[in-house]
Amino acid sequence: MVRVKSRYLLCEVNVSDRSRLLLLDDRAVATAVRAAVARTHGDYGSALCTIGFSVKYLNAHTGIVFLRFPKRSYKLLWSALPFITSVESRGQKIPCSLNCLHVGGTIRTCQKFLIRYNTQQLHLMLPQCKNEGKEEKQQVRKAILNCSLPGGNKEAFEDELEIEEDEEE
Amino acid sequence: MSGVDEKDESAVYRRVVLKNASPYHYLEVCLVLQDESTRLSAVELKQFIISGLKSLYGEVGAALTFDLLKYDEDKLTALLRVYSRGLVKLWSSLTLLGSYQNQACAFRVLQVSPFLLALTGNSRELQLD
Repeated sequence: MVRVKSRYLLCEVNVSDRSRLLLLDDRAVATAVRAAVARTHGDYGSALCTIGFSVKYLNAHTGIVFLRFPKRSYKLLWSALPFITSVESRGQKIPCSLNCLHVGGTIRTCQKFLIRYNTQQLHLMLPQCKNEGKEEKQQVRKAILNCSLPGGNKEAFEDELEIEEDEEE
Repeated sequence: MSGVDEKDESAVYRRVVLKNASPYHYLEVCLVLQDESTRLSAVELKQFIISGLKSLYGEVGAALTFDLLKYDEDKLTALLRVYSRGLVKLWSSLTLLGSYQNQACAFRVLQVSPFLLALTGNSRELQLD
C-alpha cells in the first residue's frame, strides 16, 4: 500500500548509421527526453519529469533503453517521446528516433520481455545469415552454445546480437 | 415528493440536474496592465494568451482551441470560450501570465459559466435605480 509505483518503458533507439550508436550514453538520452518533454508539454511537463524520471539502463550496442517514469504521469511523458529527433552526445548530434517496445511495472518484467524479444530477433536474423557463408553460421552457433551461463542470460544474448550486427555489415 | 405529485398535478415541483450540460465554458476576463494607457488589439490579446499557454503547457497547450467572442478594447475586457476539458489549462495559464512586453500585468477572471446567458447578468455590477 505504501509502495511507490513507477512504469518502466523499454525503448529502442533507431539510428540510420549503426556506428554512431556507440556514442550514446545515458545522460545524453536523459537530456534529450527532458528537452522534448519541455518543448511538448511546457513547464508542467518538465515539472513532472524532474521527480521520478531516470534512464535506468542503456545498451549502446543494441540501442535498448529503459526509462523510468512515475505511474501518475507516464502516459503524458510517453506522448513526448516521438518528438525526439536527435540525441546530442560528446558534441555530436546523432539523428535518431525512439520507439517503445514494452511498458512494465518493474525492471524484472522488462528484462523478461527483453529476453523473449531478443530470441525472436535472433530467429528473424539467423535465416539472413545463412546466405553469407558457413563460417559465420558456425560463429553464431558457437556463441549461442557459449551462452548457457547461469544468471548471465541478458549479457549473453546481447553479445550474440552484437556478433550478428557485425556480420550483417 | 413523488407521492405528492400523483395527487395534485398543478403544484408539481420537479428539479432537473444536468451534468456536463454544455460542451463549452465561457470566461469573462479583464486584463490589468501596469501602464494603463496601453491598448491591445483582439489579435494581440489572443496571441498573448496563446504564448501564456505555450510557456506553461508547451506545444500541446498552445494547440488548445479557444475563441475570443467579444472584446472591449477600452476596458480590456474579453469574453473567451473554451471546451470544458480545456478550462483548467486555460484558467491556470491566465493566472500565471505575469508580464506583457516587460510590464507587469494580471488577468482578472470576472465570471465563468458553462452557459453564455448566465454571463449577461452580474450581481456585482447590478445598478438599482
